[in-house]
Amino acid sequence: MNKLNGIQKTLIALVLATVVIAVIVPLMFFFTNAFSNGREVYDYPKTPILSFTVKVQVSYNEDTGMYIVKYYDRNGELQNAVNTSFGEILSGYFEQYLSVYRTPEELLEQFEITKTEGPQEFTYGKNMWHNFKTFFLITSKAEEALVNSIIVVIFTIIISLTLGSMAGYAFARFRFKGKDQINVFMLIVRMFPMVGISIPLAVILIRFNLFDTMIGLAILYSLPNIALTSWITSSIFVGINRELEEASLVFGANGFQTFIKITLPLALPALAASSMYAFLTAWNDTISALILTNDHPTLALAVYQAIGDNTTNLQYAAAGSIILIIPALIFTFVIRKYVNQMWGGVSV
Amino acid sequence: MEGKALANNNGSNYKEMLRRVFNKKTAPFWLLAPTFIYYLVFWFSPIFISIKEVFTTLDGKFTVLGNFLFLFEQETFLPALLNTAFFAVASVMLQFVIALVLAILLNRKFKGQKLILFLVMIPMAITPTAVAIVWKTGLISSGWINSILQSFSVLEERIPFLGLRGIEAVIMIILIDTWTVMPSVLIILIAGLGNINEETKEAAYIFGASKWRIIKDITIPLLKPSIITAVILRMIAAVQVWAVVVMVMGFTNVPFLVERIAYYVGPVSSLPYADKLAYTYSFLTAVIVFIATIVYFKISKKGTALDRRTQK
Repeated sequence: MNKLNGIQKTLIALVLATVVIAVIVPLMFFFTNAFSNGREVYDYPKTPILSFTVKVQVSYNEDTGMYIVKYYDRNGELQNAVNTSFGEILSGYFEQYLSVYRTPEELLEQFEITKTEGPQEFTYGKNMWHNFKTFFLITSKAEEALVNSIIVVIFTIIISLTLGSMAGYAFARFRFKGKDQINVFMLIVRMFPMVGISIPLAVILIRFNLFDTMIGLAILYSLPNIALTSWITSSIFVGINRELEEASLVFGANGFQTFIKITLPLALPALAASSMYAFLTAWNDTISALILTNDHPTLALAVYQAIGDNTTNLQYAAAGSIILIIPALIFTFVIRKYVNQMWGGVSV
Repeated sequence: MEGKALANNNGSNYKEMLRRVFNKKTAPFWLLAPTFIYYLVFWFSPIFISIKEVFTTLDGKFTVLGNFLFLFEQETFLPALLNTAFFAVASVMLQFVIALVLAILLNRKFKGQKLILFLVMIPMAITPTAVAIVWKTGLISSGWINSILQSFSVLEERIPFLGLRGIEAVIMIILIDTWTVMPSVLIILIAGLGNINEETKEAAYIFGASKWRIIKDITIPLLKPSIITAVILRMIAAVQVWAVVVMVMGFTNVPFLVERIAYYVGPVSSLPYADKLAYTYSFLTAVIVFIATIVYFKISKKGTALDRRTQK
């Protein structure tokens, strides 16, 4: 039944190739963009391949006493760059627009030769981290925002895992009145749009002196995640064999030891999956952070505010986005093997 | 000192009391109490405040429809509602079709299957803010989308994607959204396919059913719970789209419901009526999502993957 003929195989391969290309190509261009200098960003048409060097042509104009610097774009065409006789201006231009870090003296010394020998070509290595440095320079609170994001993620995971797994344990192990109603309620909380809560929550957080703090934000992010955690963990707790716990109790462990040594390790995949969702909520959100903070942004908010609806200098925005993406990617893929065990049963 | 002696004397009494408070019957109550208090303070009271705001005027008088009528008068309200509705329906349908085809193709084992699955999943882990940047670098007129079209010489002039408005802009955002969230639909469908008994399909094959008939008459009906879960979860999320819209198209150019909320709490928050509009918009969005949730719950009660599992 699993045999396919040649045409079918080719068709399937074509469909899959199209999808993979549609996923990879935007990422490649984006990645290249994050490492482009201020000139390459405006090159057209663009290539999705990183460049590590910059080629310029320098000539000397005897009448004005200026160096005329031209820049070779990625398609090999010459573009005007800068005309000046001052080393500082040269060095500044090279740093800002070409991501090339050279001192004024160094450049002047190298260009000296064009006075006698005519136009010359120079190739320089790009400083690949220029955009990242600049992102932290132009985004005034970027470092603080990075730390804030990490703090708010930790708070969110702690709150939602503690409360959520307690509730999940109750759902899995006990029969009690109103269980179904509480279940429906938890589902509603989980689906409820966070924006709807954040505006009035600001009023309450101000009252508790938690407005513009990371705990305040974590309180909001935990709302859907407590419900989600309780749902994920309860389905795992149901699956954990009760007899294992009872055996442990028979051999003299107390309830707490049993929970730590037997139940918790078995529930680890559920907790890992829950913490991943908590991480993603807290790390990815911008709108609630926009509403609930003033002077202490999270990283996603800082990136959003740095770019706003600009269409210029996208290379810095792209660099900021890479800083934003990498922790999320690492966290997702480290935890993925636990989550894979879950996906079979719980669909989220 | 006195208190301590007393406690020692009545040690057994305390234990008795503890046992009465913490036993099997009260355990679920104690386990659920923290969550309950948490939701009371940080979920119910905000909702209460929000309802109060929606039904009072700016000078504090009670009104049933006043704020809603004011909202409907806003020029951007109707486009926002229609755009959101169109977006929610069209994006979910598109994502579902692509994900279903991929899920069926990736469900059979072949060389490189795991790698393809891994690659396709990547966009899901990318922060929405970053997704907007990925696509913005493509949509500017010297961006990579025009570059690609040019290098295949499809077009002579660059398309000003960021200048698109109305339905065209919404379709563009649907495509961007599909790129990033299709994997999350795919996960649910693949999980659902994994639960389908291979023997059912083999039996149908032995009785002479074609591959297409097996997919149409066996796979899809058995997959229905996962499909419902995926579609409704996606719809609820789709109603709340905003970050990509604002970062790619800017405020107000292509209005959406939640984009309006961000607009009234962001750039124009100092206007006297901005808060009221933000409250009313978020109330409206919450009502829409709430209804969708109830529908989801009603349908899923009839047997989704989740339900089967909790009954086990």
